[in-house]
Amino acid sequence: MSRLRAIALIAALFSGLLQAAELKVAVGVQDPAQVSMQGNLVPSGTPGADLVALNDELAREVCRRINARCAFFYVPFAEILPGVEERRFDLGFGNFLRAPEREKRVAFSDPVWRSSSRLIGTPDSARAFADKLGQPVTLGNLRGGRVATLEGSRQQAFLDDIAGRRELTVLATPTPAEALDRLRDNRADFALLAIRTGYALIRSDKAQRFVFVGPAVADHGLGDTSHIVLPKKRNTLRRSVNRAIAEIRGDGTFNRITHRHFPLTLD
Amino acid sequence: MPTPNIQQRPSAGRTFAILAGVFALLFGAVVALLAITQHHVLDAAERLQRETVPEIIRYQRLARNLDQLNHEGERLFSSLSAEDRQQALFLVMLVASHPSILEHPQAAAMARDTENYLVETNQLAARDPSLLRSRYPEWQRISQRLHLLVDDISVQGANLATADLDDMANAMRAARVKLLGALTLVGGFILLLIVLLRQHLIRPLQRIDRALSSLDVDQPAPEFPRASLAEIHAVEEAAGRLHKAMVSNEAARRELELLANRDGLTGLINRRHFMANAEAEIRRSQRYGRPIVVALGDLDSFKRLNDTYGHGAGDVVLRTFAGLLTDSVRQSDLVCRYGGEEFAFLFPESTIDQAHILVERFRQRFAEHDIRLPDGLLVRVTISIGLADASHCPLEIALQRADFALYEAKRLGRNRVIVAADPD
Repeated sequence: MSRLRAIALIAALFSGLLQAAELKVAVGVQDPAQVSMQGNLVPSGTPGADLVALNDELAREVCRRINARCAFFYVPFAEILPGVEERRFDLGFGNFLRAPEREKRVAFSDPVWRSSSRLIGTPDSARAFADKLGQPVTLGNLRGGRVATLEGSRQQAFLDDIAGRRELTVLATPTPAEALDRLRDNRADFALLAIRTGYALIRSDKAQRFVFVGPAVADHGLGDTSHIVLPKKRNTLRRSVNRAIAEIRGDGTFNRITHRHFPLTLD
Repeated sequence: MPTPNIQQRPSAGRTFAILAGVFALLFGAVVALLAITQHHVLDAAERLQRETVPEIIRYQRLARNLDQLNHEGERLFSSLSAEDRQQALFLVMLVASHPSILEHPQAAAMARDTENYLVETNQLAARDPSLLRSRYPEWQRISQRLHLLVDDISVQGANLATADLDDMANAMRAARVKLLGALTLVGGFILLLIVLLRQHLIRPLQRIDRALSSLDVDQPAPEFPRASLAEIHAVEEAAGRLHKAMVSNEAARRELELLANRDGLTGLINRRHFMANAEAEIRRSQRYGRPIVVALGDLDSFKRLNDTYGHGAGDVVLRTFAGLLTDSVRQSDLVCRYGGEEFAFLFPESTIDQAHILVERFRQRFAEHDIRLPDGLLVRVTISIGLADASHCPLEIALQRADFALYEAKRLGRNRVIVAADPD
């Protein structure tokens, strides 16, 4: 009888451990000040804090739904994908667009958001380049400029691809806020960012120095659905996360979380 | 024994196997058609679930985003501060940049026009806020177009489901028809099976049952209508053969019975059969108080006749005697060869006097009858007879008394009839 009790106790403990599996969750930051704030609240007032808080709360809700104990790591975007690939992180929240080269490295959840990319600049730089080009600046006609973008992003991949032909100087920064710092310091003419990231940053710029330049672009891998990334061959975890996303959408939690940090749902 | 001709008729097993095979083929075909329709329905449902519903949701979100665009544009015009107008414009640009709008050409063009108009308005308002009023009518036209586009897209989204649902409804209607067809087929087959079973199996079996139940040697052989199944035909033929065998057995039995009860030389019944029948007859007469008489007769000097003319002559005499006797007694009287040249008689419904008259008449007739022997000689033979009333005593006693009377007839000179004295 005592042996049976011991087995039951071990089984209960083991199942409890399984149910409350510990996951390491990486959340992409928008500003260097938000890095390494493990377990702490996102410092309000820092650039893009709302977007980080939104991803953070969504990540916590997913952890709760999959019954996992999560440790959160706030890291630059460029560290998330390698970290997930090397299994240092179990989940990566950074609004990742799907791309063939990424598919080889990590697995993707079901879609969370939809995203496009857009140039950001100052009105002065937009006017100057429009004069130089003889037409309003767009991503399609931009030539001979310095473009800041997020390191490791699809936007950087795109710019690297066209940089030679367009005589562009690509300036990759660890965080989106630093890309805007380049604009602010006149070390870059434009920044190419995901639209939501760009919106989060320029609306929080008190001086209102930045504007969107040209139309948004969703082709060339610069827009589509964005996802949570997780290590390959973690199919059980991926199914759990997908189920959690569906539940969060289905019961209205997704919209409630989004509206706490963002004026629009835009999924 | 004739061989049943089963080759010319189909066997029940093969017939029903063919029927079952045909049914299985037809039913399988209908089930296959149903399965195709079901597959069609499942396909349509899956398409609805996997493609159409997400597409409808996409349209709904697009309509919502365009609505949001309209809303933020309206907010730009109603904002009192430049900062609020800028925030509204940021949101307009954010919404206009959404992939759901970019991938829909009409929505993308509308969003681009809206964004351009609002950017221009914001720039003008930054210099002179009063210009907002003059630009508002144009915004209302843009807003109206946005509203119409939202409505169109909402309807387009809802219409997406119509084709799939129509497809599903058509498939379901087809499935209903096929299901009815399958049910009709099953019902028809069961009906056909019942009719065939009744016509070719149950009714023939009932006929065979009736024929076997009334099968009798005194009845004609059973006759059956032409059976269509080999097995039924074989059983019917077997019933006919059984009847023939019964008739044949009955004839043999009667012949054997005759042989067992008759004397081979004279053709009269033998002593065993006589005793059995006489016992029964005496009991019946005594039960109903009717008169009955027994007699024993013995040919006179028969041994000397045998010794003189041979056994062949004796046999002729015995046969002649039996023939005359058979002609002389009534149908109801029993006469048997009791042993050697001795004969026993039983006269039911006769008093001792009536029997005496009958026996006396026969004695005289026999005594005057010329018997031609095998060698052509004519001889006459006499008989002595003892009579006894058996109306009140058992057969053995009556025969004993008749025997005493016969002895008395012999003693008194033969060729006479002596009635046994009344035992009282």
